[in-house]
Amino acid sequence: MLEVADRPVSPDDNAPASTGGSPIAMNVVNRWVPHNIVMLDSWFPVAHDYSVSGKPVRRAIYSHPIFLWRDNGVAVASEFHPNERIARDKSAHTDARGRYPVMEHYGVVWVWLGNPLAADPRHLPSLPFLPPQGGLPRHMTATVRFESSAPISLENLIDLTHADFLHADVVGDERSDSETVETYYDSETVTMVRTCVNKSVAPVMKFFSGIKQPTQNVRQVIRIYLRSHCAIAYGRFSPGDDVPLFHPCTPETRDRTRMEMVMNTSNAGRMFRHVMPKAGYKVSRQDSYMTSPQSPRYMRHTDRKDLHSKFDQAGQRYRMAMMELAERQAKGDFAYRDNVSDDCSEIIGLRKELFQF
Amino acid sequence: MSLATDLWWAVARSEEVTSKKPLSVDIGDQPVVLWRDNQGIARALEDRCPHRRAPLSLGCVRDNGLIQCGYHGWSYDGETGRLKEIPNMKDQQKFPPIYKANAFGVSEQAGFVRVCLNPKAEAPLSADPKYTYVGTVNVSCSHQEYLNALYDDPALVIAIRGVRFSPYLMAELHEEGGMLVMERNCQWNPLHWPSHFVAEFPLTLLTRTHPSTGETQLTLRDDQFNDLLHAVLSPVPSARGVTAVRWRAEMGVRHPGVRGAILRGINPLSVLATIDGSKLRTTKPTVSLHGEDLRATMLDAPHSAQDQTQAA
Repeated sequence: MLEVADRPVSPDDNAPASTGGSPIAMNVVNRWVPHNIVMLDSWFPVAHDYSVSGKPVRRAIYSHPIFLWRDNGVAVASEFHPNERIARDKSAHTDARGRYPVMEHYGVVWVWLGNPLAADPRHLPSLPFLPPQGGLPRHMTATVRFESSAPISLENLIDLTHADFLHADVVGDERSDSETVETYYDSETVTMVRTCVNKSVAPVMKFFSGIKQPTQNVRQVIRIYLRSHCAIAYGRFSPGDDVPLFHPCTPETRDRTRMEMVMNTSNAGRMFRHVMPKAGYKVSRQDSYMTSPQSPRYMRHTDRKDLHSKFDQAGQRYRMAMMELAERQAKGDFAYRDNVSDDCSEIIGLRKELFQF
Repeated sequence: MSLATDLWWAVARSEEVTSKKPLSVDIGDQPVVLWRDNQGIARALEDRCPHRRAPLSLGCVRDNGLIQCGYHGWSYDGETGRLKEIPNMKDQQKFPPIYKANAFGVSEQAGFVRVCLNPKAEAPLSADPKYTYVGTVNVSCSHQEYLNALYDDPALVIAIRGVRFSPYLMAELHEEGGMLVMERNCQWNPLHWPSHFVAEFPLTLLTRTHPSTGETQLTLRDDQFNDLLHAVLSPVPSARGVTAVRWRAEMGVRHPGVRGAILRGINPLSVLATIDGSKLRTTKPTVSLHGEDLRATMLDAPHSAQDQTQAA
């Protein structure tokens, strides 16, 4: 039996719960053309901190060139390579020297794309399961790519029923006694909480955590920071482990996505701790198997409406929230109406005792 | 590429369509998924899950004959395209009629699975037997250019073992019973006089082509009017200007001597997967130019070319 709820984080008494007061009605989710959405005034995760050294490495956000290197140990993000003979105009996203605002946090290098004067660490997404100063072992990190637009990848993530099919060999199939899905949202985030009772045990836990029981209770949370195209994917498995994952989907181009993932498995057993982050390579390929052919089919508007089930409520909310934010930005409103750096431990149900830094 | 919706396209050979794995094909820009349900009936739906637009061909065929999308597990009935099941929705498995994938007409005859984009179109009748030699190639060439190459110089697209196509026609391209028909003189390979100096040709290749689909029957005859080889060539316009060609062939009467033995080798017909661009570019459009006019006339006529008779 599935139950679904969709509600704003801070309910607006004047708005019906079904729409959350959103100016974009539910039926416009079918006008979803994710490739046309470009988010600005946001921190984007572009590299693991250990990837940036004295030698410049190249990244991109929406095809804007970004060269990263360290100058006396401090990360620098420039739109020009230090050896480049500059023959193109500087963009509006950088300062007079062509430098983007840049900061390091959670072991990740973040670059601000948008008005450089608006860059503020207060707009950095909250990731309470990662040490603020970084330092997790490298085996808990990985870089994978998707041949799809970043919103397509995130929409894929927030509907976890896909995992029961695409990733059944890693996280288990769809069988469970009951399933509940709740969606919470504000102007900058969408959070989905899925609770399954007696779900088929995840094979990866069976083999690498020694789970003997045939089923386990699962609470999975997906929290998406809309502007940054970052997500938290946090699974609590009982019996089993807590597996919090930082799942960014950085739009290097409008149809190619880079994921500098970090999975904090510090509290898991030794085998699982090493193996589970590597599962990202397999799982991402399984996702790409569907999202790669799916993505071009969303490049242009079509009058044909997607069909939806009640499982898609979080995904629909994500579409609506992204379109609403994009519409605001198109009108020149880049203000943050909700604070993304507030500690989200409670919202995602993080067992803080396991993640003390 | 816009195509008439009432045409029946031979998009697959019968043995390619199974209940083990869905098959992805195209009709022009329209992706189509084919599979065989639990009664062995070939089914065709648009290769696009209406839920999140993932290709259904990446999914699987369930034991109950439904096709299941590999992304979120939605299952569809092949006959109607109706959504039959969403996993985990134990409390609701009846869905409004709008919850469906586009279903297409399917007809299976003579070893080919034909699909019509109009599910209500009447299936054509074919009296052809099921030929045993088979093949599938995808050629980087448009459908019309492919047919033009077949008309102007068959050696650009096919090869018959031990046979050389001459440039001399026994009968130019003409309309006959709603089909485009022509007959080309051929010689045995490799020892022969140059065709310019030959008084009599030992072989002819008769082709009968449907003016819309381009499905073509080939018959190789000797000078005693024995049918030595029968083949059906089915070019279907596919995505990105590619032409998918399915074919079946069968040997006819045994021609005496070494030449007949060579012809009766393992696989007498080859359909080429690539076209020599330099040869194609310099091949004179001697037949195809006339063919385009003739085809246009036939398609304009109310009772000939719009007749849905396939190459029968």
